[in-house]
Amino acid sequence: MDGTAYAPGRARAARRPLLDHRARSRLTAWVLGTLTVGFLLYQWLPILTLSLLSFSGPTGGTTFPMNGVSLHWYRELWDASIMNDFKPPLGRSFVLAIACAVTTCLLSVASAQAMRGRFRGQGLFFYLILLGIMAPGLLVGFGFALVCRILGIETAWNTTAFLVHVSWTLPFGFLTMLAIFNRFDPKLEEAALTLGASRWTAFRRITLPIVLPGVIGSLLFGFSLSYDEFARSMFTTGADITLPLAVMAQLDRQLTPELFAIGAATTVTSLLAILACTFALWGLRRAQRR
Amino acid sequence: MDRLPQLDLEIRSLRKRYGGFTAVDGVSLQVGKGQFVCLLGPSGCGKTTTLRCVAGLEEPDGGDILIGGREVTRDPPWRRDIAMMFQDFALFPHMTVARQVGFGLEMLRKPRAEIAARVAEVLAAFEITALADRKPASLSGGQRQRVALARAMITEPRILLLDEPIGALDYSLRETVMIELKQLQRRVGISFIWVTHDQNEAFSLGDHVVVMNHARIEQQGAPEDILHRPRTPFVAGFVQGNNSFHGRIAGAEGGMLRIAGEAGSFLVPGASRAPGSAASFSVRAERIGPAAAAHANRLAVRCVTVEYFGSIRRYILERAGGALLKLDQFGAEPAWLRQGEAAEIGWAAEDCVLHAVPEEAAPASSAAPAREVVPA
Repeated sequence: MDGTAYAPGRARAARRPLLDHRARSRLTAWVLGTLTVGFLLYQWLPILTLSLLSFSGPTGGTTFPMNGVSLHWYRELWDASIMNDFKPPLGRSFVLAIACAVTTCLLSVASAQAMRGRFRGQGLFFYLILLGIMAPGLLVGFGFALVCRILGIETAWNTTAFLVHVSWTLPFGFLTMLAIFNRFDPKLEEAALTLGASRWTAFRRITLPIVLPGVIGSLLFGFSLSYDEFARSMFTTGADITLPLAVMAQLDRQLTPELFAIGAATTVTSLLAILACTFALWGLRRAQRR
Repeated sequence: MDRLPQLDLEIRSLRKRYGGFTAVDGVSLQVGKGQFVCLLGPSGCGKTTTLRCVAGLEEPDGGDILIGGREVTRDPPWRRDIAMMFQDFALFPHMTVARQVGFGLEMLRKPRAEIAARVAEVLAAFEITALADRKPASLSGGQRQRVALARAMITEPRILLLDEPIGALDYSLRETVMIELKQLQRRVGISFIWVTHDQNEAFSLGDHVVVMNHARIEQQGAPEDILHRPRTPFVAGFVQGNNSFHGRIAGAEGGMLRIAGEAGSFLVPGASRAPGSAASFSVRAERIGPAAAAHANRLAVRCVTVEYFGSIRRYILERAGGALLKLDQFGAEPAWLRQGEAAEIGWAAEDCVLHAVPEEAAPASSAAPAREVVPA
């Protein structure tokens, strides 16, 4: 190295960019903003289209232009014939989703809590839970049904389908809780213990309120992932089918705006579930503040 | 078995291992009623683990812990008469100040009205009444420290355990908080066990200082004792202001020992030891001066640098062989040496402190390389 290598200030002054840094960051903001809006449109446009078409008249088809505006298809959905009555599958899917949500929530909190300590086979435990995400759903469902057949267990939406759904929803809740516990300071629990709280009290009064957003998150994952699960349900649900299976069956038979009405109705249901959870979280936070 | 009810805390040969690492190795300690004890040592020396064992947050592998004469070794934290203050205060982020200060009383299932009254009282005593409805996130470091202290003290525990309790505070705040805490401890009369790596904290606060290193207690006693009579080379080196010398016993002279090492040959007070055995001693920086007739021990040095602290002037001196020494002079006196100047220094034999334990596993065959420790 000779003496010319070091020239402070000169290197910076030499390159003058086309745009100054403020113009560049404005440009970046615009580009990223446009991308985001585009993405959101891409995500929501199908559902909007579907919802819009579900309000078409009795003679309306499944494409634009809409033939009149009515609640006809919602009425059809309501007083459906035996053949295509969506209400029982909807009810089953809803109950199943609630059960999955609660189970996922409890198991995720417990298993993530277990991961905070050290135990033999911890790594295996972690990967076995995550296997639920990696494994292809259709094959998991098929394999499960096969095992059930061999063992002589009859498949049903509220037994076998429930188990398979939880194996799918649990890893999402588990990862959510792991992420939340990762930021949780165990000193807070220790402080509670030294102040006279038992382990359970410390968990209830300190840990749980602080990780509550993750708990709600795992509830939501459990609900929404089970509610629209198709692949894993296909072989494990038995005779009384869930909503996604019913929709698929109907799609095979005949395509009417009634299906769009189902789509719109379920989306609204999911949004309501999220709203309810958010509201619950808000309420709990308020209650703690007293 | 003699039970000593006047002791707030007794630890008997406590041991704790983490896998292959020994964190605490045979620590024994007695804390009298209302004593202020400081556990001092470098990081990883086992002081925090000892404290956590007392709190019940770690389960010891051996030894006994008695709080107020009652054996609690296997008891969970919530059944011990203690409170703890954590380094970063560990305030509950979701609770208001009033609520977390009252948490300890809630755990004792006190009636709501009583809790409210007592919380108000304690908040007033710690001058944090105005913060009652605030959450920890909106508090300053000093305010958090007060809240944590109020939360720990409200149940009037027998012992307050403090893990580097002012380490998270701004430097400018520390001295004030130290004085306040000392006064508080005197007033309420409960025992404080204060873990720190800062010797200024330990020596200015503690009635009793416990110096730990490598999972063991090196020395414990009154601050003056440890500062002026270090028992081991580690303590002499860890505590500020000591110059240590290593060598071998060369013989006895008039009731004193002659210790010869690389730095020279020195007269040190001490009971007779086997000639040729390894020995070390230290002499405090303020006991050294320009060589005088009364000095039995002398050394030729060169001044490396002079540090001026106001109350004292510290000379960093280099002797033959390159090792550094410290010499302290009152700051008000005129400077004696300048950087680069050579001089002869000396000190009285009586100012040498012979270490009871010369050195850990000193190789017997080596010609005792003298090693002067100059802590920063």
